[in-house]
Amino acid sequence: MLYGGGQRHASRLSRRAMLCGVAGLMGAWPVPAHGKAELSLGLTPVFLDSDMNVLSWLQRYLAQQLDRPVRIVKQRTHRDASTALLAGQLDAAWVSDFLYVQFQDRLALLAVPLYRHQPFRQAFVIVNKASKASTFDEIRGSTHAFSDPDSTSGYLITRWLLALRRESPAAFFRNFFFTYSHRNVVRAVGNGLADSGSLEGYVWEVMKEREPELVDNTRIVYRSEWLGFPPIVALDTTRDVPDIRALTAALLGMTSDRFGREILSLLALDGFATARAALYESTVEKWRVVKAQA
Amino acid sequence: MPRFSRIAAWPLVVKVPVLVAGLMVTVAFTTSQIVLWRLVQDQERNLELLASAYLDGLSNAALPAIIRKDVWEAYDALDRARSRYPGIEPLFAIVALPDGRVLAASDPRRFPFQSTVPRKLRRRLAADDGIAIDTAAGRAWLARTVRAGGVSVGRLFAGLDISDLLRLRREILVTIIVINGCLTVAFALGGYFVLKRMLQPLGVLERYVEQIRDGRVEPIPEDYRSRIASEFGELFGRFNAMARAFSERQALACQLAEQEKYAMLGRLASGMAHEVNNPLGGMLNAIDTIQVHGNNPAVFQASLEFLKRGLAGIRDVARAALITYKGGSETNLLTRGDLDDLPLLVQHETGVRRLRLDWHNRISEPLAIGSAGVRQITLNLLLNACAASPLGGIVTVTVSCSDGALCIAVADEGPGLPKDMAPLLNRAASETAPLPESKGLGLWMTGHLIHRLGGRAEVEYPGVGTQVVVTVPVVSKETLDVAA
Repeated sequence: MLYGGGQRHASRLSRRAMLCGVAGLMGAWPVPAHGKAELSLGLTPVFLDSDMNVLSWLQRYLAQQLDRPVRIVKQRTHRDASTALLAGQLDAAWVSDFLYVQFQDRLALLAVPLYRHQPFRQAFVIVNKASKASTFDEIRGSTHAFSDPDSTSGYLITRWLLALRRESPAAFFRNFFFTYSHRNVVRAVGNGLADSGSLEGYVWEVMKEREPELVDNTRIVYRSEWLGFPPIVALDTTRDVPDIRALTAALLGMTSDRFGREILSLLALDGFATARAALYESTVEKWRVVKAQA
Repeated sequence: MPRFSRIAAWPLVVKVPVLVAGLMVTVAFTTSQIVLWRLVQDQERNLELLASAYLDGLSNAALPAIIRKDVWEAYDALDRARSRYPGIEPLFAIVALPDGRVLAASDPRRFPFQSTVPRKLRRRLAADDGIAIDTAAGRAWLARTVRAGGVSVGRLFAGLDISDLLRLRREILVTIIVINGCLTVAFALGGYFVLKRMLQPLGVLERYVEQIRDGRVEPIPEDYRSRIASEFGELFGRFNAMARAFSERQALACQLAEQEKYAMLGRLASGMAHEVNNPLGGMLNAIDTIQVHGNNPAVFQASLEFLKRGLAGIRDVARAALITYKGGSETNLLTRGDLDDLPLLVQHETGVRRLRLDWHNRISEPLAIGSAGVRQITLNLLLNACAASPLGGIVTVTVSCSDGALCIAVADEGPGLPKDMAPLLNRAASETAPLPESKGLGLWMTGHLIHRLGGRAEVEYPGVGTQVVVTVPVVSKETLDVAA
């Protein structure tokens, strides 16, 4: 259990307060050497991106660990992140596993987050609480909110379900649109903008703890199998570059650092582990099905 | 006019406060209307400015989403703008595409994606940009066409809750009414009490003037003057001066009247002495005749008869004088006999001036009227007529009763009663007596008596001399019988 009732709230506050204190202390830490090349890390809405402070703290943590300036680049879409990464504008990026499998031959896995001590998560299809649908098939004809066309949980899984039924989104749904954020899928479905939505199960579950007023307006009608958690990747050509290796070490070592643990707590993660391509075979299989239908 | 007359007759102490209250109400109503009008103008101008800023922000935020037809981004722009504009309380906001379909709305359940913008809303805002205010519903509706490069790419609709603005208007209106109402009542009451206090001296003056009608003329005590405004002090001073002059004139008139009375008594006494003296001479002659020729029965008898007539004449003269002196009988019944002895009283006057007195007493039965007053009026007029008549002239007295009134007409052949003295016969008792040098005191006293009996006098000039006709009302016979 990561959190628990009022104690969770108190714990969160204390952590936040402590982080502020630690961030203040970090100002007194050895400043990353100027003149060293800046390392850029791209982030996508695969994780809880609602708290901008996390980005700042993550940037400080990595800069401290790598002893060099670190730039966190928040991309709106997975496609933006992959394009920048493949173009060499980013040194590494936290992307969806769907994007990874699409460019598997050019990307190297650096680390994978551990959620509930496992590198897995599920994809959810949710409906508004007032909806009468209780299965995936019953959301036919609804207005559907996808997260991102390059997201496994926010698009590929639903697309795969439709492919199994020999359906397309345009035929199956009355309307559909993309929100480019798992959290926005919850908002769209909860507020009635969409009748149903596809999103990351990890995000939905953490939001249920932290923003129940939003999540309580939604209900899950489909849970996918366990899928590999979106990884942190770099260009395969830079796999052995010292900075990239240092980045991997900093991620894998977050649990051993007090500040790193606090950042993980805010992300509702348990740490990072070394990732292997086999973790995403299920994703590859589903993409294959979808491509076959297309 | 009658209503105005009634209002004009209102007391000043009521009229002025009512006028003040009316003016206050008028001023309050006018200022309230102006204040509210300005408030409404300002509110609507501010609302338009706020609405314009709101729509500007909304259109700028939503424009990229509208161009891309991005449902989520359009919704997100509306959702984020929901509480971003202070003073604006949007009920809903809609981003519509040029075909009239909803791209996104802040309330997706009410305005679902791809649904048509309600016709009522589109009709309410037919113009491209604008604001429509419905004060009855407490709502305002906005519309703004979103353009990119001069091309319309969509339209924003919004509904605002302006009930707070309307509530503010109502509160200000109520505040104005309450404050102005309190001020109006306060000023009216204050005006009433202040004016009542200011006009107190008029009440004092009225009381003292009223006393004059009752015959009491008193100056206003000086200590009043120290407590009132200078204007009223001067008025009181003039009143006191007038009261003093009036009192002096009244005292003088009484004194003159007393003198006139004594003069009249003197004339009567001399007349009586003459009338008594004449028979006395004859009677003494009769006694001498009896003494000389008393043996002659016929002479004796004739002398006795002469003595008897002489004594009867003296008795009549004495009785008439006694009645005049004592004010006549105290009865309210006038008989023919109450007037018939008057010629005896003026016998000396008529004799001296060789006047012929035509006496016509046509009273046939007792009349319910003060006999002493009538007798005094007739005697005064008769004496005046004798005095005014030339030597050898004719004085005519006619007393009659008709139509419930006693009519006494006294005519002479004199030069005529001066016209400025004739009104003295009709003056009320309370009016000022004539000054001693202006004469007419006898006429004024006669007028006083006529007024006391409720009668009136008319002075006629038939060509030669003067005829004074006095009419005095008589109580009806029925009333008299009942009284009896």
